[in-house]
Amino acid sequence: MKDFTHVQTQSGLTSHPVAEMYAREHKEGKLDRREFLVRSTALGLSAAAAYSLIGASPAAADGHRAVPAAGGTLRIQQEVRALKDPRTYDWSQMANVTRGFLEYLIQYNADGSFEGVLLDSWEANEDATVYTLNVRQGVSWNNGDPFTAEDVAANFIGWCDSTVEGNSMSTRMGGLVDPDTGVAREGAIEVVDDYTVRVTYPAPDITLVPGIADYPSAVQHRDLIGTNPADHGVGTGAYEITNYEVGVSATLSRKADHEYWGETYLDEIVFVDLGQDPAAWFAGAEADEFDMTYETVGEFVDLFAAIGWTQSEVTTAATVVIRPNQNNAPYDDVRVRQAIAMACDNQVMLDLGINGQGVTAQNHHVCPIHPEYADVAALPFDPAGAQALLEESGNADFEFELISIDDDYRKNTTDAVAAQLRDAGFNVTRTIIPGSTFWNDWANYPFSSTNWNHRELGVQVLNLAYRSGVPWNESGFANEEFDSLLDQANGIQDADARREVMAQIETIMVNEGVTIQPYWRSLFRHYKAGIVNADMHPKFEINVHYLGFEA
Amino acid sequence: MGAFILRRTGVMILTALCLTFVVFFLTNLFPNLEKLAKTQGNARMTDAEVVSWLDNNGYGGPMILRYGEWLGVVPGWTQVDEETGEITGRCIDFGMDPADAPTRCGLLQGDLGFSTVSDDEVGNIIGGRLQLTGILMFWAFALMVPAALIVGVLAGMREGSRLDRSLSTFSIASTATPEYVSGVIFIVFLASSTAGISGTLTEWGWLGGDGWLGDRNTLFLGSARSAMDGGITFWNFFLPVVTIALYGMGYIARMTRASMAEVMTAQYIRTARLKGVSFRNIVMKHALRNALIAPFTVIMLQFPWLLTGVVIVETLFNYNGFGWTMVQAASNNDIELLLACSIVAVFVVLVTQLISDIGYVFLNPRIRIA
Repeated sequence: MKDFTHVQTQSGLTSHPVAEMYAREHKEGKLDRREFLVRSTALGLSAAAAYSLIGASPAAADGHRAVPAAGGTLRIQQEVRALKDPRTYDWSQMANVTRGFLEYLIQYNADGSFEGVLLDSWEANEDATVYTLNVRQGVSWNNGDPFTAEDVAANFIGWCDSTVEGNSMSTRMGGLVDPDTGVAREGAIEVVDDYTVRVTYPAPDITLVPGIADYPSAVQHRDLIGTNPADHGVGTGAYEITNYEVGVSATLSRKADHEYWGETYLDEIVFVDLGQDPAAWFAGAEADEFDMTYETVGEFVDLFAAIGWTQSEVTTAATVVIRPNQNNAPYDDVRVRQAIAMACDNQVMLDLGINGQGVTAQNHHVCPIHPEYADVAALPFDPAGAQALLEESGNADFEFELISIDDDYRKNTTDAVAAQLRDAGFNVTRTIIPGSTFWNDWANYPFSSTNWNHRELGVQVLNLAYRSGVPWNESGFANEEFDSLLDQANGIQDADARREVMAQIETIMVNEGVTIQPYWRSLFRHYKAGIVNADMHPKFEINVHYLGFEA
Repeated sequence: MGAFILRRTGVMILTALCLTFVVFFLTNLFPNLEKLAKTQGNARMTDAEVVSWLDNNGYGGPMILRYGEWLGVVPGWTQVDEETGEITGRCIDFGMDPADAPTRCGLLQGDLGFSTVSDDEVGNIIGGRLQLTGILMFWAFALMVPAALIVGVLAGMREGSRLDRSLSTFSIASTATPEYVSGVIFIVFLASSTAGISGTLTEWGWLGGDGWLGDRNTLFLGSARSAMDGGITFWNFFLPVVTIALYGMGYIARMTRASMAEVMTAQYIRTARLKGVSFRNIVMKHALRNALIAPFTVIMLQFPWLLTGVVIVETLFNYNGFGWTMVQAASNNDIELLLACSIVAVFVVLVTQLISDIGYVFLNPRIRIA
């Protein structure tokens, strides 16, 4: 069998005019290497070609996965949640289990590059409106059907269907969705031949590749779109679910009589659910209940290192927002929101919330590692001014109820916010809700904290969380100017040109006091010595096909 | 005796009805239903969508009727989708032809309903979980009862002696320490590779690397998860078992001691002693049987107590049994799973009481059950 990590280096574009422009920008120091890689591989360049454009060694692109020994059982500590239609997944954990049989068109690597999985390669035209997707040949479903362009097209149509309750893929599809009908635009997705699909956007869009590399975009069989994969088990991957008990454990075993197109190593993967308390995870580690954590948080990073586990760290655009919801009084008053932001020093949240394991942010949810990041002025840290602003708005006596989930870093960060607000003279009560119920109403709490995962481009999270009326808009932010600027930014290919628009967007975010977004987190994972390819991923992805024990 | 058992069964059914109705009422309060709708449907549903979701999923009708549906005395709800004409209903399983579905499906038909949090039939879940808890309880009793009786008898046979005082102090201390305290203490002292006894042993090189227990760094395991798949060992099961057993043990030991001390002052014991029977024979042959009557009731009462004890211990030691399931069901407002848990609880309490009453008759012939 072929090692597809090498196939990628032989296929795909070797160059692209826009990528060459990025390469120039990189050499001029406007784009760092990671940003350059994200953007040029999103256009269809292979990682090796992208590296060669900037004169770096392509070996770095190939050598990121070691070859483990065949066989073995690996146990991963991770929550086991009830599965559902992948389009409606709201937890990366669900995708980590189903990734054993439901694969993705493209995957996002921890170094910022994109790599084809079920796609052999992809190309974008010059203004990024037409994408040509070349489907990998020789892949078959485990029910015997061949995997073809029809499958890819059917999945795109399914992803675009915004009439499905909770389908978060439709927002990722952007212009492919017809706003009038709520389903895929006529002619937007074409099957060119058995192994080629053409996707046409009405306006330039640069988020297609990151969008279909995200965890809800698992590729289902063309006839099974919208079904729960746990019910049928049809997929292209090498594994099948042999046991699934919500809250307890899940087991993936190598599927017999199915020839997997790639290489895979482990015989069995067990996901062990030890609840949400990191102390229980640590007790489980000491009792040898698992070999690898999903994520290690807070002080447990040091503890896991102390018992001799290997540490893997990745810096990301993952963060926590402590946001007022503008649909609730008094947070509809911009002065109140600004007062909240001015009363808090983000450095304090970084230090108290996550032991300084990250870098401070500026309340606009665009990270310095995003290509279009613009450095804009933040509101000053001024507790006295905050109190004055609060009094001016007539809410000095208002009792602020600050809600958070009951777990380590989110609780601590929210406590740090509450303490600083109290220091500034605000009247604050803290409410802590257990993890099992917190998410029932997360987007509607008047004032609460939420964690957000890493996204590849700065515009992506803004589209998901701050555009008027989108499902995950938890701050209740609705601003026409912001929306139209965001539309504009979504279509600008050039990082510098987009940065000018982003500067305005970020300024609106800051001045409107939309949220406190104190820091960017580093993510950690620990695993026992001798486990291969288990490194932390900025989006918590675990691809069970790559895992294994040292040869 | 037959009439007595029949009457007790009647009481049990009545109690179960009352309790399940209370649980049903509380879990069906609107805020709880709203929580359920938002977990199952979509976290961002509007109030109108919540109401329509509840209607579409059979949570709409009057509460008493829905309770009847759960019992199986009222026909299960059905709903016709106006657009597609698709019929859904309580008794219609996924992919089943609505015409083939039974009209009633509730407790009386042997259908415990559907667990929303586990995405599975309640009947499939609760059996396995009860079995796990049963194993834990069995070992807890196997440790607790003999230990408690020995401690109680030893303490009670010479009231006021040094042995009595020290054993009594131990019993009181163990009863006064709740499971969530003793469990944590045990984990720190015995199951941590960096603290307590295991930590010291590791430092000395007796554990870990090529120590006694292979490459394991701790004496005992602070998580009983590996015991769930049938691999029960002394090392992974001792801590949860001893945590449960210690709490109940002190209480039974105190009861046994009081009973033993009373028997030891009885006239016939004095007579036996005057006759020259050895102390050992007095205790074993004359005092013991009479002293065990009172503890027997207390031991049977420990069953319901343990049922609450396992909630804490199973959560602490990650053992996914009945107690853990109850916590999951309650925290997710999983109505039908909670109802099934309450039935099990009522059943356990009343059956153990029945056994205790009947057993009493055999132990003490002066008592008659009319």
